[in-house]
Amino acid sequence: MVKLDQINISNDGLTKFFSPIEAAILRALWSEGEMTTSELTGKTNIPLTSVAGTLDRLVKAGYTTRRTETVNGRVRYVYEPVLSEEEAASEITTKILDSLVQAFGPLAVENFSKYSDKK
Amino acid sequence: MNIFGEITCYGQCLRSWAPIVAFIVIISLSSVATSLMLKDPKKRLQTFAFAQVSGLIGVTLTYYLMNCSEMLSMYLFFAYQAISTILIFGTLRYYDRLMIKRLEAKPAGSILKWTQEYVDKLTSARVYYFDSAFPKAFAAGRSIFVSIGLLEILDDDELKAVLAHEAWHIRHNSRMPFLSRLALMAFSSSSEPELEEQADRFAAKVAGSAALFSARNKVDKVFI
Repeated sequence: MVKLDQINISNDGLTKFFSPIEAAILRALWSEGEMTTSELTGKTNIPLTSVAGTLDRLVKAGYTTRRTETVNGRVRYVYEPVLSEEEAASEITTKILDSLVQAFGPLAVENFSKYSDKK
Repeated sequence: MNIFGEITCYGQCLRSWAPIVAFIVIISLSSVATSLMLKDPKKRLQTFAFAQVSGLIGVTLTYYLMNCSEMLSMYLFFAYQAISTILIFGTLRYYDRLMIKRLEAKPAGSILKWTQEYVDKLTSARVYYFDSAFPKAFAAGRSIFVSIGLLEILDDDELKAVLAHEAWHIRHNSRMPFLSRLALMAFSSSSEPELEEQADRFAAKVAGSAALFSARNKVDKVFI
């Protein structure tokens, strides 16, 4: 879920925090920058009917923006990621660390420092 | 006085008319129940409007047929029923304005000039677009709504077919007399496929059946 209210630790990569379709869209946008809807469906290989609702949701949640363009009498959306991959990663990390500290207090902080020492 | 006492009292005052009034009350209550169960907001509103009208008929009938002096509850209910019926019909009448606000829809003529001109030739209606990637088109009141997602995937001929389909709905709605529209509200689900078929026939005639066919193929059942 884009709102990060559900995290599936057992999932792989971005799908820990996003649905598979959301993750595919974000990955595509991070690698390409700006993309039209047809470029997105082409790159992610997901049909428009499955992607459309997710695109609306990502825009509403503030992860992507889109503008409307009219080119040669054709109307199209152009999507753009709001956060870069690094910014999204640090936002997600901060949120998760916050919730760990809220749940375990000093114990969580102690484990963070142990973890960074190990690295 | 308890509620059962009051109902018995109404029964006695109405005498032989009581079963008819009871029948209307049952129709009204069951359409309220149906409207609560319907998911489509427009059908829900229509069923509720039907419940309101039948309730109003029931209460007016009771008012005129009673053989005893009227009770206060009667006056109160009559006032409530009359005011809420007017409000509900106001909402139905201005349903498209509500949709414009809710969807933050803008005139389609501002991004694709020919769409409004094309619809002007078919019927008097405004064309609006709204912000959604999901391909969708529908008609409400005297307005046609298309999503940007629909504009993205259809070519001009296919879009003309969709607009003609929606224009037919608007022409049909405005020609239908008030009473048959009320009847349709009550039994709408049964006649709907036929309406869609007629709208498609009109669209095929105006925009060509090839365009309609390919539009249908692209957006499979998302324009209604």
